[in-house]
Amino acid sequence: MKAKKEKTKVIMPLLGRYGIHYAIGLIMLFTVDYVNLYIPEFIGNVIDGLESFTLDLNGILTICLRIVICGLIIVAGRFLYRLFIFGSARKIERRLRDMMFSKLELLSQRYYNEHKTGDIMSYFTNDLEAVRMAIGPAIVSAFDASVLTVMVLIRMITKVSVSLTLYTLIPMGVIAIFGYFYGELIEKRWAKKQESIAALSDFVQESVSGERVIKAFVQEKAQERAFDKVNDANRKTAMNVQKLDSAFGPVLHFLVGVTYVVAIVVGGGYTIKGEMTLGSFVTFNYYIGSLIWPMLALGDSVTLVSQGIAGINRIHQVFDEPQDIVDDPEPDNVTELEGEIEFNDVTFRYRDDLPLAVDGVSFKIEKGETLAILGRTGAGKTTLVNLLTRVYDIDSGSITLDGHKIKKIPLSVLHENIAYVPQDNFLFSDTLAGNISFGKIGASREEIEKAAKSADIHDNIMEFPEGYETMVGERGVTLSGGQKQRSSIARAILKNSPILILDDALSAVDTDTEERILDNLKRDRKGITTIMIAHRVSTVQNADHILVLEDGRIIEYGTQDELLSRDGAYASMFRKQQLESELSMVE
Amino acid sequence: MAKMRVDNPEIHYKGNVFSRLFAYVKPHRGKLVLCMFLVLVLTALNLYQPLLIGHAIDDCIEGYYYPYVYDNAGDISFGGDTLRKLDDAKNLEGESFAVILNYNDAYYFFENLDKGSASELLKLRDVPESMTADGDTLSVSGKYSGTLLTEDELSVLRKTDREGLIRTAVIYSIVLLVVAICSILNRFTLESMGQSIIYTIRNELFSHIHSLPLRYFDTNPVGRIVTRVTNDVESLNNMYTQVIVRLFENSVLIIGYAVVMISIDLKLALISFAFLPVVFVITMWLRTASRKIYRVVRTKISALNTFLSENLSGMKIIQVFNREKEKGQEFEGRTTDLYKTQMKELMIVWIFRPIIFLIANVALAVIIYNAGGNVLAGTLTLGTMYVFINYIRSFFEPIQELADQFATLQNALASAEKIFTVLDEENPIKESETPVSLDKVRGKIEFRHVWFAYENEDYVLRDVSFIINPGERVAFVGATGAGKSSILNLIGRYYEIQRGQILIDDVDIRALSTAEIRRAIGQVQQDVFIFTGDIKSNIRLLDDEISDAEIESSSVAVNADRFINQLPKRYDEPVTERGATLSAGQRQLLSFARTLAYDPSILVMDEATANIDTETEELIQDALKTLMEGRTTIMVAHRLSTIQHADCIHVMHKGKIRESGTHQELLEKNGIYKKLYEIQKQ
Repeated sequence: MKAKKEKTKVIMPLLGRYGIHYAIGLIMLFTVDYVNLYIPEFIGNVIDGLESFTLDLNGILTICLRIVICGLIIVAGRFLYRLFIFGSARKIERRLRDMMFSKLELLSQRYYNEHKTGDIMSYFTNDLEAVRMAIGPAIVSAFDASVLTVMVLIRMITKVSVSLTLYTLIPMGVIAIFGYFYGELIEKRWAKKQESIAALSDFVQESVSGERVIKAFVQEKAQERAFDKVNDANRKTAMNVQKLDSAFGPVLHFLVGVTYVVAIVVGGGYTIKGEMTLGSFVTFNYYIGSLIWPMLALGDSVTLVSQGIAGINRIHQVFDEPQDIVDDPEPDNVTELEGEIEFNDVTFRYRDDLPLAVDGVSFKIEKGETLAILGRTGAGKTTLVNLLTRVYDIDSGSITLDGHKIKKIPLSVLHENIAYVPQDNFLFSDTLAGNISFGKIGASREEIEKAAKSADIHDNIMEFPEGYETMVGERGVTLSGGQKQRSSIARAILKNSPILILDDALSAVDTDTEERILDNLKRDRKGITTIMIAHRVSTVQNADHILVLEDGRIIEYGTQDELLSRDGAYASMFRKQQLESELSMVE
Repeated sequence: MAKMRVDNPEIHYKGNVFSRLFAYVKPHRGKLVLCMFLVLVLTALNLYQPLLIGHAIDDCIEGYYYPYVYDNAGDISFGGDTLRKLDDAKNLEGESFAVILNYNDAYYFFENLDKGSASELLKLRDVPESMTADGDTLSVSGKYSGTLLTEDELSVLRKTDREGLIRTAVIYSIVLLVVAICSILNRFTLESMGQSIIYTIRNELFSHIHSLPLRYFDTNPVGRIVTRVTNDVESLNNMYTQVIVRLFENSVLIIGYAVVMISIDLKLALISFAFLPVVFVITMWLRTASRKIYRVVRTKISALNTFLSENLSGMKIIQVFNREKEKGQEFEGRTTDLYKTQMKELMIVWIFRPIIFLIANVALAVIIYNAGGNVLAGTLTLGTMYVFINYIRSFFEPIQELADQFATLQNALASAEKIFTVLDEENPIKESETPVSLDKVRGKIEFRHVWFAYENEDYVLRDVSFIINPGERVAFVGATGAGKSSILNLIGRYYEIQRGQILIDDVDIRALSTAEIRRAIGQVQQDVFIFTGDIKSNIRLLDDEISDAEIESSSVAVNADRFINQLPKRYDEPVTERGATLSAGQRQLLSFARTLAYDPSILVMDEATANIDTETEELIQDALKTLMEGRTTIMVAHRLSTIQHADCIHVMHKGKIRESGTHQELLEKNGIYKKLYEIQKQ
């Protein structure tokens, strides 16, 4: 019910805003259609006048001038209706696109986990285009299919003959039905063809990406055979479209021809009997020509409108998506945070049917302390961090910052006070300078370089020909995993927040670099509360406290010395990594 | 490594693109000839259609122009007389005649006329001033008087006209049917030809790409290669189906229209032709202008989509860094920019396309004016005028289509150049024409004074020599860029060395087939590539000779069975692109199973950087032991702890082997290895 109500909220006000534009556009369209019908009539007038000798050369000239004037009106009218109708559709499309992006920015990771990027992208591409077609060309098609048809029919009946009009309506109806079914059928086959070309593209993409494996395992011939199958399937689906498409034009042409035959036999018969003038007969033939487009427009508009409705319904799913991570209606009055973090019996699960990802976790980090979190893949380390940054909201328990429940802290304040280095080192297609200053808009070059030096990436950046202006991503250099990690550390350092989170942020750098970065952090970022997720003992041994997670529960917590003397999971991990170096000492 | 080629500097294909494109048509010559023939038939029939209607107008609908002769053998009985309709108004044969005149849309019958009177009446019928109607009679110059014909009387008199009309309708229907059948056949044949050709080109391209050396893939991004195989080939399809034959068709059509128009009326034809160059120039200009801006629009759309997909994947970063507002503004800036460019594109189309319509409209008016004058002067019949108006209405279509086809051709040629550039890309790694075949690779590897550079003179390996005996374990250590990974690549002949020799089992690898070498080498890579499919298909790849039992035993041997057995469908569990559902450790184990299933004699390993939790790490170390058993193993290691048990350790520095020996020997040497060891130990 709620969704239904929302529906009218997005598209209708937009259409309403351009209501006058649409009205003017439709008036223009009507004018064009109306004037267009005068041309066949003028031609008929000339022929009749010539036949009955009531027209002289001056008379013909007058009519010819009228034809040219009609042409001018049509040209102006066509431009104007396109400007008003198609132009408005474009404006609405742009507005919808912006609105959709803003809405998506408000949705939490929960939404992004359930929706693939490719699927969300299709809202912006396919669905938005379907909507634009429905509020642009479909309106013109529908108008022509209805109003133009009626206008032509009225003229046929009043200016020519009722019975002749009725006779020609039969093949015309067939054309309309034919056009509609053709549209339905070709749409389906076209979709199949698109699927098969996408499959072909995916195959090549994967095959080329796996080139090394293919060469190493001498799979070239096998790949060729597999590709041949995909290629052949693509050819077949393409031919399915082509079979239908090849027939459409000729069949339409044939049906139109049949309409003319009917007009010749019946209309010609009337003319012979003197019931109809030759000019009317010729005019009628031209009217038939003007009816073909509205007949096809009928099928077009039905298809376009139904696709548009499907598109807007899908787009509405985005707008209807409830926002689950929101500011508290009565937030605490905090603008700055010190960095004291406390988890109190926190539980959380990703979905109701999944086991607890975080199970009764409690700990406290004093301002300026460093907490290291260890644990196996899937133990819940990243989840803890995601709960602190409110990427997800906890199910029960509480998380407090400086004594404020995080839900009571405005999201913008919370995020402004946490610097975060994610596990996947996501960088934007921007310059390195742009990426590093992402957390602090308008940072000076000195600040950027200082952060880069702390993250031990400055020297690498200076080696690029364009230095800090080097573009990252597809259109620029491809950074190594370590370089990406260090850039993303520099980004967090520059943000200069009281809380710093490093989520397995040093995994791709060697131990030397790791040590340098950790030293830099210790020196430059005194008094910063730090949470560090890691696998290596070397990374965590300088932390104030170490927390070991397993299956979402804390199994060990304490200082390194405490944990070593406890002789538990951490101690065993420490020994294993230590053992190797000791063994080599003995040998 | 070599840098990616950023734009498309490689598209400078020189050579005859046309002849090469036509080479693909050769196997389909028959089809092409058939299509050309069908096009000729279709063009003739299309030109014939308006003529048929013109004939129907002149000879049937306007058939009252012809006089009747009283003839007992005639087929029209009217008022007790037997009449026959003449088909020539100038040459009157017979004694007694009758004539129908039209005055103010009413028809009058003049009976029993002699030859002279009939001729005079036939001349006077074009002079309405000579006629006066009075009730049911029409008198012409006071001399002749005719009676008004009723509808029934007209029907009887014009029986032959109606029959002629029906005959015309039947012929017209047959023509329509033939046209429909021929054009379906024509289009279908063309499309199937086009699809066959692009199918062939795709297969050829795909095979060729896989035959190219790794160097090609280092310098060409995947996306670009995919575009070659998909979009570029697709635009060739348009050329084969829409250009070759249509170009011919439209040229024939234009000539056909011209010939028929000239034969009807030279002056009118010449007037019509005067519009052609104007239409052509405007159309071409419009196409060029709109194509230019269309390209800009396409680039902006794809930039917007890239922005979107990137920001949707990075939404978490945007939110955590509190940058929603800034990103939203950036997005709006981009959509506004796109909107403006799109509107510019549309304006060009909206303003200039109607101009063609306007020109056609003016041409129509000019033709009507001139043809009307001719009709008044009696030099043109109404039917012919109808035919001419019809021709002028469709005369400009083939011109516009020609312009479209030139555009398609240009796009196709651009794509063809790109495709041929790929097809011409040579593989510098030449296969020996008479390869030496080794029965079973034992696994002896020797490098003799090998020099190697990825690009130009930047040598990554300088004069490297070593021997590895079958079954030995050898490790290479050194800083990044020391040349360790290059050695692994060279053994499988993925790159060609510049100087020296590499031998496997004492045979130069250039004398062996690369397939044989690579089959003998098992690669354990850092970055494990997983194909879409299931667990099984990722172990056996596309080799059906590897049985399910072998897959399972390989998995058990490398400890991969533990996680596989926990999957709901075990070995049939689907894995998505790049193995996103599997952890890094699981992917590594899966790749071990893959390697073991192919049972190589030589194992080549690039040690994984430690991104794996300790427990999986143990499984991996254990699996590696199984893998290395009885195989010559060459590994590149980053951590000294993993290589201490190697039979020989080579320390690489700046492309040279600086130190070699066992762990113990190297420590005693007190050189680079010792230093590396001290650093890592801390």
